[in-house]
Amino acid sequence: MKRFAALALALAVAAAACGGGAPGGGDQSAQAPGKDVKPAAKITWWHAMSGVNGDAVKRIVDGFNASGKGIQVEAVFQGNYDDLLAKLNTALASNAAPALVQVYDIGQAYMRDSGQVIPMQAFIDRDKFDTKDFEPAVINYYKYQDKLQSMPFNASSAILYYNKDAFKEVGLDPAKAPVTFTEVADAAKKLTKKDASGQTTRYGFGPSIYGWLFEQLMATSGALYADNGNGRDNKATKVLWSSDAAKGILSWWKAGVSGGYFFNPGIDNDGAANAFNAGKTAMYIESTARLRGHITTIAGKFDIGTGLYPRPDSKPNSGGNIIGGASLYIMKSRPAEEQQAAWEFVKYAMSPAVQAQWQADTGYYPIVKAAYDQGPSKEWSTKYPQFNTAIDEIRNSPQNRSTNGAVLGVMPQARQRTQKMIEAVLLGQATVDAAVDAAVADINAQIEKYNKANP
Amino acid sequence: MRRRFGIRTLATYGLLAAGSIVVAFPLLLAVSYSLMTESQIATFPPPVVPVGATLDNFASVLATIPIGRYLLNSFVVSTAVVVGQLVTASLAAYAFSFLVFRGRTLLFFLFLSTLMIPWEATIIPNYITIRAIGWLDTYQGLAVPFMATAFGTFLLRQAFLQIPRELWDSARIDGASSLRFFLSMVVPLSRPALGTVAIYGFLSTYNQYFWPLLITNETLMRTTQVGIAQLRFEETLRWGLVMAGVVMVATPTLALLVLGQRQLIRGLTAGAVKG
Repeated sequence: MKRFAALALALAVAAAACGGGAPGGGDQSAQAPGKDVKPAAKITWWHAMSGVNGDAVKRIVDGFNASGKGIQVEAVFQGNYDDLLAKLNTALASNAAPALVQVYDIGQAYMRDSGQVIPMQAFIDRDKFDTKDFEPAVINYYKYQDKLQSMPFNASSAILYYNKDAFKEVGLDPAKAPVTFTEVADAAKKLTKKDASGQTTRYGFGPSIYGWLFEQLMATSGALYADNGNGRDNKATKVLWSSDAAKGILSWWKAGVSGGYFFNPGIDNDGAANAFNAGKTAMYIESTARLRGHITTIAGKFDIGTGLYPRPDSKPNSGGNIIGGASLYIMKSRPAEEQQAAWEFVKYAMSPAVQAQWQADTGYYPIVKAAYDQGPSKEWSTKYPQFNTAIDEIRNSPQNRSTNGAVLGVMPQARQRTQKMIEAVLLGQATVDAAVDAAVADINAQIEKYNKANP
Repeated sequence: MRRRFGIRTLATYGLLAAGSIVVAFPLLLAVSYSLMTESQIATFPPPVVPVGATLDNFASVLATIPIGRYLLNSFVVSTAVVVGQLVTASLAAYAFSFLVFRGRTLLFFLFLSTLMIPWEATIIPNYITIRAIGWLDTYQGLAVPFMATAFGTFLLRQAFLQIPRELWDSARIDGASSLRFFLSMVVPLSRPALGTVAIYGFLSTYNQYFWPLLITNETLMRTTQVGIAQLRFEETLRWGLVMAGVVMVATPTLALLVLGQRQLIRGLTAGAVKG
């Protein structure tokens, strides 16, 4: 899959370099079609939801098609997020893109700069569509210069997962999860277990080297990932990874691994999840959307707890979590009738009943708060009380540029580069300072190139 | 003398057995995982042999994707590509090895140089062509772009060059046409090479992912590898399910390889005795 990610990026950069005609910040002036345009009878929607989530997508589409609006949406699975973006690029080259596409969080700047999108704000303003009830943390992630670019669809955040049985075993309070860096490290030391031969049989904490987790740690530290308000007030020109906050995160992580109480699964999200499931690590951090999978897989072997995402000891008031996931874009290249139909579908998908069902089917956050009052959502919370931590976490996250998350044209590359940076530190190949300097220089050069190609 | 031979045989078989275990291990592990429940897979250290095998994963695969249809599509497309490649590559190789014409070497090197073009660079033009002909969501669209192969032509040319020139001369003296010589001498003598090209072409088409994903939108026209991708969930990977899908997709190709290998070896020995 990595190879396709690389291909997607190559195509994206090539297309970005060729399509340099788009004005700064994409085409923010693109207009929604007039209100009286009759919606098309049929539109296509490309999505990247497989398995259970794919079934949930089908449920939404079937519901919409049967709702008597005279519009048929055809949902087509197009591989994972990277594959879909690669396919979209190819299709755009020959005008074969669909009316509606689902693109992942970090494709935001690329989609905007492609100039191929009608900002969702244009439809919202036209219809005076009320977004007051939308979860602020979720909707703010998809804004540029305070204008909504796309409609959030599947949203998740990151939390701490912990093994309550292991907590009890070493005398920690299973009802109280550690929150600050020092608390996590202290708990991890206690939870680490060795056998007679000195081999570690259980580590206290074992996060994957995953760039998204680093972005989340920056946000809970209240720090900016990139300049110009994380690239939201204006295009970012450089990354801010040499801040004290970033170095604090790296030093904490490194100390844990060197001290033998943090497990390092490498750049391997599934490996980290498996280690937690198997009881090889007692705590780890991951997406809220993994909760149901954990509960199913662990199948009662131990009690699973959830806690707030780790943050510095000073618990900065400006710190909070970022939303991840994907959102829906209405494409400019399709006829006005199809855009109209796509907007009708988006509105339907955002209705509280649909959102509640979506949450129950997938484990993503509902985008509209009213969904929590609906049956399926309530049942979900009863069944998985651990999810309440996730809801509290984003509710309590202050809304500012650092918790909005960064938008960079080269976000996928930046994420991969932070992973290499963290790995170099953890494996002792470089000091924190040296690793950070090298990574910052690399990515700043790429940002400059991207900004030149997309003025 | 006999004893030494025995020890040597034993050692050879021992080495071969060890080697085959190493080679077959990932495959066997896939089979084993496909029979385990998720919580079994998640124990540490990871188990190798399932305790109380379950077929639930296979049932889930059947319920999640139309795997039968995907297999059929992959077979139709791969077979068409193999037939196409054998015809075009063997004829081209014949021209490059037996016929003498101006610019032959230049043309051959030009041919070979296409091997240096990364496939990523050809994807967009190919897509635009296929779309312009209206071949999206069709078997032609999936198969035709791969029916000519520079690698296969190169391989067959090398094999054809091994055929003694005297055969060609005597066939010509006996009045055989180029086509006759090609069909009754070159093709039978090159069966192992043709078999290699066929198997290579089949497997690489069968394992294609991005091209089928790119040019198909209809579920009914998709192929096995796209199906496997549908089994990978973005947030939680269910290894048992994915492995069950992999086993179902790999079994037919393995069967084909076992059958084809026999054919290959027979072709090889037949050539050796006659040649």
